[in-house]
Amino acid sequence: MSRLWKLLSGPEDIGQSAWFWVGFAALIIFFLYYPAVITEFEASSISYYLLNIPLALGLCLLWGYAGVLSFGQVAYFGIAGYVYGVVAGNMIGNPWGPLVGSIAGLTASAIIAAIFGYFVFYARVQMWIAPILTLVFTLLLETFLGQTAGYQWRIGSVQLGGYNGMTGIPSFQLGKLVFFGYSFYYYVLIVVLICFLACRMLVSSRHGHVLLAIREDPVRTELFGYDIRARQLVIFVIAAVLAGISGLLYVQWGNYITPTQVGLLQAALPVIWVAVGGRDSLIAVAITTYLLNWLTYALSSAGNQYALVIIGALLVCVMLFFPKGIIVTLARELPRRGWRSAFTER
Amino acid sequence: MTDKVRSPDQDSPANSIKTDRRTVMKGAVAASIAAGVALPTYLRDFNFTQTVRAQTAGTIKLGFIEDESGNLAVYGLQKLHAAQLAVKEINEGKTLKGAPNIGAGFVGAMGQVANNPPVISKEGTNLDVVDDGGVKERVDLVYDEDDEVLIDSGEIGVLGRELQFVSADGQSNNSVWQQLARRMIQEDKVDVLVAGFASAEREAIRPIVDQFKQLYFYTNQYEGGVADANTFCTGPVCEQQVIPTVQYMVEKFGPRAYTIAADYNFGQLTAAWTRAYIPLVGGEIIGEEFIPLSVSEFSQVIARIQQASPDWVMTLLVGQNHHNYYPQAAAAGLRLPMASTVNMAQGYEHKRFQPPSLANMHNAIQYQLEVPSARNRAFVKRWMAMFPEDQYIGEMAQNTYFTIHLYAKAARLAGTTDQETVKKCLELGWNIEAPEGSVFLEPGTHHCAHPIRLAVADENHNVKFVRDWPMIQAWWLQRLGVNLVRTPEFKQYTPDEDPYFAMFGKKKT
Amino acid sequence: MPSPNHQEPAARYMDNVAIALSVLYQFGTNGAFLLLSALGLIVILGMMNIINLAHGELMMMGAYVATTAVQRGVPFPLAVLVAFIAIAIFGAIFERLVVRRFYGRELGALVVTWGISLILSQGSLLVFGPFMPSIQIPGGSISVGLYSFSEYWLALITVAIVVVFGLWWLYNHTTFGLQARATMQNAAMARALGVNTDRVYMLTFSLGAGLAGFSGALLAPTTSIMPFMGQQFVAPAFITVVVGGATNVITGALGSSILLSLVRTPIGFLFGSFLGLVALLLAALIIIRLMPDGISAWLQRYLDRWSRIRISA
Repeated sequence: MSRLWKLLSGPEDIGQSAWFWVGFAALIIFFLYYPAVITEFEASSISYYLLNIPLALGLCLLWGYAGVLSFGQVAYFGIAGYVYGVVAGNMIGNPWGPLVGSIAGLTASAIIAAIFGYFVFYARVQMWIAPILTLVFTLLLETFLGQTAGYQWRIGSVQLGGYNGMTGIPSFQLGKLVFFGYSFYYYVLIVVLICFLACRMLVSSRHGHVLLAIREDPVRTELFGYDIRARQLVIFVIAAVLAGISGLLYVQWGNYITPTQVGLLQAALPVIWVAVGGRDSLIAVAITTYLLNWLTYALSSAGNQYALVIIGALLVCVMLFFPKGIIVTLARELPRRGWRSAFTER
Repeated sequence: MTDKVRSPDQDSPANSIKTDRRTVMKGAVAASIAAGVALPTYLRDFNFTQTVRAQTAGTIKLGFIEDESGNLAVYGLQKLHAAQLAVKEINEGKTLKGAPNIGAGFVGAMGQVANNPPVISKEGTNLDVVDDGGVKERVDLVYDEDDEVLIDSGEIGVLGRELQFVSADGQSNNSVWQQLARRMIQEDKVDVLVAGFASAEREAIRPIVDQFKQLYFYTNQYEGGVADANTFCTGPVCEQQVIPTVQYMVEKFGPRAYTIAADYNFGQLTAAWTRAYIPLVGGEIIGEEFIPLSVSEFSQVIARIQQASPDWVMTLLVGQNHHNYYPQAAAAGLRLPMASTVNMAQGYEHKRFQPPSLANMHNAIQYQLEVPSARNRAFVKRWMAMFPEDQYIGEMAQNTYFTIHLYAKAARLAGTTDQETVKKCLELGWNIEAPEGSVFLEPGTHHCAHPIRLAVADENHNVKFVRDWPMIQAWWLQRLGVNLVRTPEFKQYTPDEDPYFAMFGKKKT
Repeated sequence: MPSPNHQEPAARYMDNVAIALSVLYQFGTNGAFLLLSALGLIVILGMMNIINLAHGELMMMGAYVATTAVQRGVPFPLAVLVAFIAIAIFGAIFERLVVRRFYGRELGALVVTWGISLILSQGSLLVFGPFMPSIQIPGGSISVGLYSFSEYWLALITVAIVVVFGLWWLYNHTTFGLQARATMQNAAMARALGVNTDRVYMLTFSLGAGLAGFSGALLAPTTSIMPFMGQQFVAPAFITVVVGGATNVITGALGSSILLSLVRTPIGFLFGSFLGLVALLLAALIIIRLMPDGISAWLQRYLDRWSRIRISA
């Protein structure tokens, strides 16, 4: 029990005390009972804000804790979504099709990430090259998927659809239970919770500490005898699987996916969520992802023409005044360093 | 190695509660167990089924989603204005002429015909400068259309209720589209949804529409093939645009054609139609190039066209990057006749680009602002009175306009806004007198038969209409056997599923 | 049209000359497009290490300024100059207010410039509307055999090369260039030697922004003037600069645009734009994989080795 406690409340993330966990539990209970007072549509919207969290968590692990910025996490989001669509789409009618599809999607993301990561990390490229390589990879994927429009581009009975996208993707179901609306909300909540707790345990574990050492000084860590290439590869695959989980949840939410989901604009979004929240902390990233997605939707559904301008201005202000990320600054730097020096980079 | 990393937090006052941690934890666990026990009971009271969705009082809600910002704003804003104009007219007690079950609204009559087609002035949209063109010396069969088609509907709004316009901005972003569609259908409970410019946007919301059986109108021209019991497509499709264009170009300029198309669904499918049809009229596609949407510099494309030396070029370019082809080709001295189905009528390139970029561009469309009929002149005047700043009225804007009027008429005849009933009423088959001419909504395919005209832009980007097809049906889905009245379906067909295309005509790869 | 196979040897020779000229022209335009897209980014990313996601919007603003100026009657070359100056001033202001807080903080710069790009592009949609009529492409065309070439693009190729050489001369043969290089290498040392590093940073960023505006103005006639037109330049610019490498950004960018264009042109000509684009992306991936520090680093090593051989010989 105490070992579990140490793993969950390690010093690598914000919030170690019991009060934090009480607050956290209260938040979860709030989310559990919230659907009683909201409509199914609102529950569906909240599901959308929540399902992007694993994607951001993966990037946070990769960037904040391992020091590798990947600009192309959305590629694995898209791969998992498309593979799920193909497998589950071909198994329509079979109550276990979506489960098989989900496993297939995650496996595809993991394998492709492993291959790509092998080429990146075992070549010992400079770490600032990683963002460009991952970005080019996701652009290539988008270009390829975008031209799969014709009837010949189909796997089994499912058409890839090119830029129109793959439509009619089945919702997730386990046996007779189809997850839709309120049930989908609970499903997303549980999945995101598990991902978050698992990531927390990872960063406080031995492996997490080695990652931190790699981030701080790769050469020194290697001199200690750790194979940094292998460890970077492993964390890259884990981040890809997390991105894949988000991808699965997305297609199970919207029953639809297009190549724009792996394009340039979408690729920048997780980077922004993580940078604004504070890449050093998982909980900060989770909260920021939820809030920024909510803000984007709230502004656009209010018919506000200034939506994008407001978000742009918000980003500028946040980075000017909260260099380490809003939540990290408020929760960690402020109590630690006081008002004067909390708002500086170092 | 054990984790012995000490952080400064371990010495902070917050951790002095450590001794109380066990108590707190126990309390938290107890609370969670209580919550967990209560949860199933609480969940049981949830209504997981769909709510009833027809209302009998209050306003009738017209849901409308278009891109008012982002890349596609230049198209979306036109459609928004069209919808606003239509809703205003309906609420003022006006409607368009039209009735169910009448196949076409044309009456044949003997009249005088001008030898030369009219020339529309480029200066602004003042249609009073339209020249009727040429000496009237032939007597021929002409199609007599009503000049005034906006008549009184006999009531304010629809069924005595005001038509409320609920619109949202899709921001050219598919995820936002999906959320907005859900909101409109589940929260706002709109009685009819009119949305979508790009095929990707339509496909993003069609699953949601089908899930909730929402009555949905898609008012854009597109690649064709949507067979969906809930969706009514009122824009023209490939057989109405590609085929007349190709036939005219082969007849006038020669059989050797080169296609350049945007490398995505619309471009590939329309190019497939061109390739499939052209052998039937003795033509041949001597080369095809699919250009990714991100390419904005075309010197290589131009060189390849010049190497192939076609008689004319089929340009199926979409997107702001692709529009750069026209000025670049003109500057490079490429002077071949061009044909398209998307340019001029939607994005008004002939107004946006300097001449002679679009010189000799041919386009078979059902509507462009320059259509020289009296009813269109009246329509344009009404539009400009409401929106004086607008630069153009594109074909999809006009489609949106008459579609909303069509919905009002159908709801009036149905006597209710219940969506299933209105869909059945639409499946009577409707004729409606739109600014473009007489349009007929076909029952089995949920698509419209349109009057089609061939527009040509000259060196100064003036538009002439050189050929007229009074009514072209959307016959392809019928050939595939689609009859949504008898057998509801929810898919989109592609040309590869039609074996007839491959059967006839001498084809070269 | 008679098929080429039935022509006489002289005509066939002319045909081959025409094809060769056309390929050369395509190579030039592809390279010039890459180089012009990358011009502003060479300075900002290459020298100052700021990941400027607003690069496309800077080019867009240059295009808007030039187009508006031409519509008011200003002759085109002057309009381009006006665009350069206007965006350079904007760059200086922007640097003063925002950018200087982000030196050494790449991630912060990334997010801030993304935010600025949203503001600029959406803002210009709100202010100018969805489009603006574009300038006519100056100049006519030259024909050789089946092919014809746009005079304007020939001019653009020349201008791109001239400007790059001008930039190289500026950084290697002027005092400002010396100071700038010193500052980039070791700011503290440069300051100790009396260089006003604040001013150097401001001028450098301003130059980068001005060059972006300049390129945008030059490319304005060839493209539609819309608020999001900057996006078409972002990926080519970044790829060119990164493949060029940081060792010597100017020669690196020149080298990378030549190399990437060398790959793209034949494949694009023979197989079409899609495969040409894929070839370019794959080539970029491979070059980065083989020469992680970019082309300029490899060139530098080669030059060093050659000069050492000369000395020892």
